Amino acid sequence: MAVPLFLNALEQTGFSTWLRESESVFGFYFILVVHTIGLALVVGPNAAIDLRLLGLAPEIPLPPLKNWFNLMWLVGPNAAIDLRLLGLAPDIPLPPLKNWFNLMWLGLAINAVSGVFLVLAYPSKAFTNPDFYLKLTLIGFAIWNLQRIKRQVFDLTQGEDAMLAKGRMLAVWSLLLWAGVITAGRLLAYTCSYLVYGVPC
Amino acid sequence: MDFPHLHLLLNHSPIIGTMVGAGLFLTSLVVRTEDVRLSSLIVFIAVALLAIPTFITGVGAQEKIVADPGISNDLIQRHEGAAELAIWFMEVTGALAVVALWQCARRVPPAPWNTLAILVFSLLTVVLMARTGNTGGEIRHSEIRSAEENTAPYAALAYFEPSPAKFTRLMIVNKWWWAFMMDMHFFGLVLLIGTIGMLNLRVLGFAKQVPIAALNKLVPWGLAGFGMNVTTGLLAFIGMPTFYTHDLAFVLKIAAILLAAAAMVVFYLSGAFRDCEALGAGKDAPLRAKLIAGTSLVLWFAVIVLGRYIQPLQDSIAR
Repeated sequence: MAVPLFLNALEQTGFSTWLRESESVFGFYFILVVHTIGLALVVGPNAAIDLRLLGLAPEIPLPPLKNWFNLMWLVGPNAAIDLRLLGLAPDIPLPPLKNWFNLMWLGLAINAVSGVFLVLAYPSKAFTNPDFYLKLTLIGFAIWNLQRIKRQVFDLTQGEDAMLAKGRMLAVWSLLLWAGVITAGRLLAYTCSYLVYGVPC
Repeated sequence: MDFPHLHLLLNHSPIIGTMVGAGLFLTSLVVRTEDVRLSSLIVFIAVALLAIPTFITGVGAQEKIVADPGISNDLIQRHEGAAELAIWFMEVTGALAVVALWQCARRVPPAPWNTLAILVFSLLTVVLMARTGNTGGEIRHSEIRSAEENTAPYAALAYFEPSPAKFTRLMIVNKWWWAFMMDMHFFGLVLLIGTIGMLNLRVLGFAKQVPIAALNKLVPWGLAGFGMNVTTGLLAFIGMPTFYTHDLAFVLKIAAILLAAAAMVVFYLSGAFRDCEALGAGKDAPLRAKLIAGTSLVLWFAVIVLGRYIQPLQDSIAR
């Protein structure tokens, strides 16, 4: 399959070349480090919520966990609307888990930015790999699923039993999807066809 | 300080340590003293952690002496094979000790299966570590080499020991197996940060509405993640021993892991955890607990950062 020419053009830009070849401490591997830290911040707290929804550590109160989700939508497709809904809505009490949730949001934002940089460094490598599209799709589903957890479990006023009953299946999906995202991400290193334009992996 | 120095500094601890631990454990079974049992569990955990750098520094030590006159590479390979068998028994013993210590902290009486398993694995580890030490000593000390090597017990042990070259090949022959191991290594990372990292953050004062004791219930999942990563990490090292040995980021990562694990041991055993265990929603943890939690958090993230720098820093330690 022919590799689109614009990928080559993109690769030849100064920024892309710098990302790939710079000896600077802020070069490619620094961004990879940042991407991994972002991963830990997004998926770590997610895993904790999922385990809680699956019935582990029932002593952890559920309602405060809701705040882990709110700010997450800043990076979603409805960012503007959600900013209005959440960022400046004083009638919603700012619950104590806000700081954790900020971390999760921070993790997603970090990974959106560092992810773009990583793709810019090796655009032909990413865009010619079906696994790359699989990863993006899984991220989409994972965020959609998180939104469902927020809407169906945390947003409605309901007892803990009802929350758990609704949350269990969604938590399973959440774990599977985030595990899928990580797996697809790891496999990018082993499934590429081109390293850069015209150079096979 | 180079690899032979580090290897010689560390390599007595798994041998003597497991003997001390097993001795204490047996004593606790006879005299039924809880303090003695706890001491033995802590010794097992410490030795299981120290066995990791001991194992890893062996490759660098080998490279330094293998060309020397009077050194037989066959003897080194035999020693390496013995270590590649002993290390797994050592780590399983350490993991069983963590389970026992956790049950003890929750004031659950020791589970019979766990006690029996620790007994079996620690005694097997004593034997395998002694064998590893002996084969290691024979590399330099011709005076302890003897014809005994061909007797049935030695032959039986040797039968179970892997050939280092074959073990290495087994790890890297299939790239999908390697990809799977690395994937599991990331899952372990997520479990660690999602549970132990979150507990550290709570102790530091983030999201205070969550009670500490409640959050602590998730920590066994973090410990399971650590176990996954020790397993996959050791297998990866066996797959590419010389690659990792000459990598500064890798050496520093191992140091950071040991310090992070030590911070965790200190957190639970110094009383820092007991000070804040009962703290409910909105309560602030004491300074000591915060200091340890902060240190632990910094160290775990240092582990992630250093792990990511292994690839670009390859060959950063001279061959």
